[in-house]
Amino acid sequence: MIRLVPNQSDQIERSGLVTFSFEGKPVQGHAGEMLVSALLRAGYLNLRHAPMDKAPRGAFCCMGLCQECAVRIQGQTVEACRTEVAENLIVERI
Amino acid sequence: MSDHFDIAIVGAGPAGGNAALTAAQSGLRVVLLDEQPAAGGQVWRGKSPSILSAPMTPETKAGNDLRHAIDQSQINHMSGTRVWDIRRDGDKWSLQILCDAQSLQITATSVILATGAREYVQPVTGWTTPGVIGLAGATALFKQSLSLPGDKTVVSGTGPLVFFVASEIRRLGGTVAAIVTPNTRADWARALPSMLQHPKLLARGGVWMADLMLAGVPILWGHAVSKVCGDDHVTSVQTQALESDKQGPIFEADSLCLGHGLIPQIEAAQMLGVPIHHDPALGGWVPDVSPDGVTPVKNLYLCGDGCGIRGALAAGLQGTLTGARVARDLGKTAPAPSIRAWQRAAGFGKAMTGLSIVKPKLEALTSDDTILCRCESLKRSDIRAEITTGAKSTNAVKSGRRAGMGPCGGKYCQTVIAALIAKETGKPIGAIPPSTPRPPLRPVPLGQAAGDFHYDDLPIPKPAPL
Amino acid sequence: MTDQTHYDIAIIGGGIMGCSTALRLASGGMSAIVLDQGDLGQGASGVNAGTLSLQIKRVKLMPYALKGHHLWEEMGDAVGFAKTGGYTLAFNAREAEMLHERQTMKAKAGAPIEFVSNNRLRAAEPNLTQKVQAASFCPEDGYANSSLTGQYYRGRLQDAGIPYREGCKVTAIDQGAAFTLHTAQGKITATRILLAAGAWLKPLAALLDVDLPVNARVNTVSVTERMPPLMSSVIGHATGLLTMKQKANGTVLVGGGWQGLGTPQDGRGTVNTATVKPNLALAQYAVPALAKARVTRSWTGFEANVPDFYPLAGALPNVPNAFVLGCVRGGYTIGPYIGQLMGDSILGREPEMPLFDPGRDFEKDTI
Repeated sequence: MIRLVPNQSDQIERSGLVTFSFEGKPVQGHAGEMLVSALLRAGYLNLRHAPMDKAPRGAFCCMGLCQECAVRIQGQTVEACRTEVAENLIVERI
Repeated sequence: MSDHFDIAIVGAGPAGGNAALTAAQSGLRVVLLDEQPAAGGQVWRGKSPSILSAPMTPETKAGNDLRHAIDQSQINHMSGTRVWDIRRDGDKWSLQILCDAQSLQITATSVILATGAREYVQPVTGWTTPGVIGLAGATALFKQSLSLPGDKTVVSGTGPLVFFVASEIRRLGGTVAAIVTPNTRADWARALPSMLQHPKLLARGGVWMADLMLAGVPILWGHAVSKVCGDDHVTSVQTQALESDKQGPIFEADSLCLGHGLIPQIEAAQMLGVPIHHDPALGGWVPDVSPDGVTPVKNLYLCGDGCGIRGALAAGLQGTLTGARVARDLGKTAPAPSIRAWQRAAGFGKAMTGLSIVKPKLEALTSDDTILCRCESLKRSDIRAEITTGAKSTNAVKSGRRAGMGPCGGKYCQTVIAALIAKETGKPIGAIPPSTPRPPLRPVPLGQAAGDFHYDDLPIPKPAPL
Repeated sequence: MTDQTHYDIAIIGGGIMGCSTALRLASGGMSAIVLDQGDLGQGASGVNAGTLSLQIKRVKLMPYALKGHHLWEEMGDAVGFAKTGGYTLAFNAREAEMLHERQTMKAKAGAPIEFVSNNRLRAAEPNLTQKVQAASFCPEDGYANSSLTGQYYRGRLQDAGIPYREGCKVTAIDQGAAFTLHTAQGKITATRILLAAGAWLKPLAALLDVDLPVNARVNTVSVTERMPPLMSSVIGHATGLLTMKQKANGTVLVGGGWQGLGTPQDGRGTVNTATVKPNLALAQYAVPALAKARVTRSWTGFEANVPDFYPLAGALPNVPNAFVLGCVRGGYTIGPYIGQLMGDSILGREPEMPLFDPGRDFEKDTI
């Protein structure tokens, strides 16, 4: 099939994979990528539960405003869209 | 650190970046503060260190040019840095910033706010389901991580962004289930004259469109998402024709990119006392500012989409105008660029912004059981009850229901709440201003805000009278 | 809303004091209207830290504060009332001495305050710092949710059939057989007026050529995002410069009267980072785990006072049929009660406790 917008996914060279954990489960991501993209790729869409109705929530604005992707690292709440993946990072739901 | 700069610029997108470059060229000491890891703003967001090499796009090129120019300049560029408060301190400005989990204070004679835009999303039932991300949010994933929101994605929203996002999904190897846009072909025909001034952009849009048609991706004009289905992730997306109210197709998908235009980020300007007015053609509430960035507040300047959505091209030109103006105001020699080029670019940007003015039929898809305030899970029925029992302002609704007191600070609910108040009270939307902005401009860990301290050094005033 | 334009009394200022007085007057048969330049309960009444602590009340106002506490308890869930008990902490010998002296006097004035051991304190509040030197406790202390003030009184006024107008700034007052109020929404006439405009009392009284020596303090409050349980009672500091409580929703509210910037004439005031930082530092010193709580919002509210820091509650000097109520230190706690006293006085009844003459000499110790 003719494509005017070619699929360039195989022309992208990424850094090596590292392993971090989300809720105690190992997740692989490329060193230095946004935590949120690694979690999305691994199928972890539900990053937290809204406090009032306990409904599942996931990354939404991806630019550090909406706070929907807030996760806890070393006891500190951080935005997964502004945190880089690193080896052995321990990420938990808030 | 308590460094003093001639100019502190908040935001390193096209506007802030160009303002910084122009001001620095005149010999001024400039600090450029930006919360992202690389300059470029949202539109030219830089790639993360995880991308070792990738094909070049026009956005990468423009961003790289700006980043290269900043690197080569005398600008003190502080990336990954959040400004959480700005206030007047005698004859200078004092800025509280967070950098590497450390709280610092810097001062500057003049401040330029180039805070850009955020996305407006008209709430629809299910829009809080994981797997729904903003259209602009999707572009952040593409530009920074070259990653996809899911395997099969519905792309829905207004203006040109919807086609850019769909095209990027295809470029990165994903599948677009459908494009659903409230705009009609007639809306686009009306915008065409402004687009003819930018044949390159027009041609690029043409390629996106033709590619989607060749690939057989359904494009639903004059349609909107009426409901997102799925419990802990998106499973399908329902659509509706806006004019006829007829139910449209249901698309199976694991993700939805949803957005209805951009709105200026005015909180910092508002907090510092710049008057605001409502202009739907510029994305909503905008500060009072001249084309070269002058505000009624002394030594405070604004440029870019934070003054009204005119697009990246206009933002860059206004950045240059503003940088030159500040330099001249501080007694330096700087060129006085013509505002004609900015006006032309702004004409194009405004035509695009006009495509996102919310149609009543789109608004009507927000139902009583739709969540409006994501932070507090408040449904439209909750907000409406507060209004009908007497809360007639965004501040009053915030006080009564906490809508705007959550961690996002009202960034994703205040516009829709103001529209609901206007509707329920029969007032024009321009009579319902946003709630009072307050620091911190972003959530700040208390320990970092407090900074290092010794108890005995705390400046504890004398106690209250007994 | 009625089309009536003449009232027995017009109350200018729709905060706690104005609204509670209006309710008392209406129950006594007077027709009243409440006017506010903004929204009801959006001044100090709606933006203070909501602390209901007898440990920070003035000794001579303690009987009023005890009555006020009782009224807040009655309002209950509608205002987010919680009686948690409260601890006031001293971190060094000087503060311990101050705590002992001040709380002893307040206990004598009727507040059930006791001094507690470190063991008891730690058992009740395990997340507190180890550095506490002395602590007092009052089981009556707690808090209410001040942001619900507007919502609450709007409902009360509606239920009582008392008209109110928001966004209705009074720009001029004519005196004659009755008062004529020129407002943003037209003219209103009333036989009596009550000035209850908090920090805006001075410019308001000036419309009647009365100079009230009212100053405004610019108090700052900060709130964090939701946190796991960190404290179960109201935590204060011997100097009064920290009040802190964790709400049922998990957010932590930090106040203590640190001063922001601005004047009531200029708007809503401005947070001053130079004072917010030590306020937050003090909170973190008391509960170290707060370091990781993200602050989501700091704000300011204007607290009106006169030079002797006692209330204005009574007849406005030299203007027959005009009254003034405000400048109550601890006004959130005492407001609902002193409003009732003011209402009784205007109705010609003997108030249960004495009011505070607005015509007194503020430089002399007359209270």
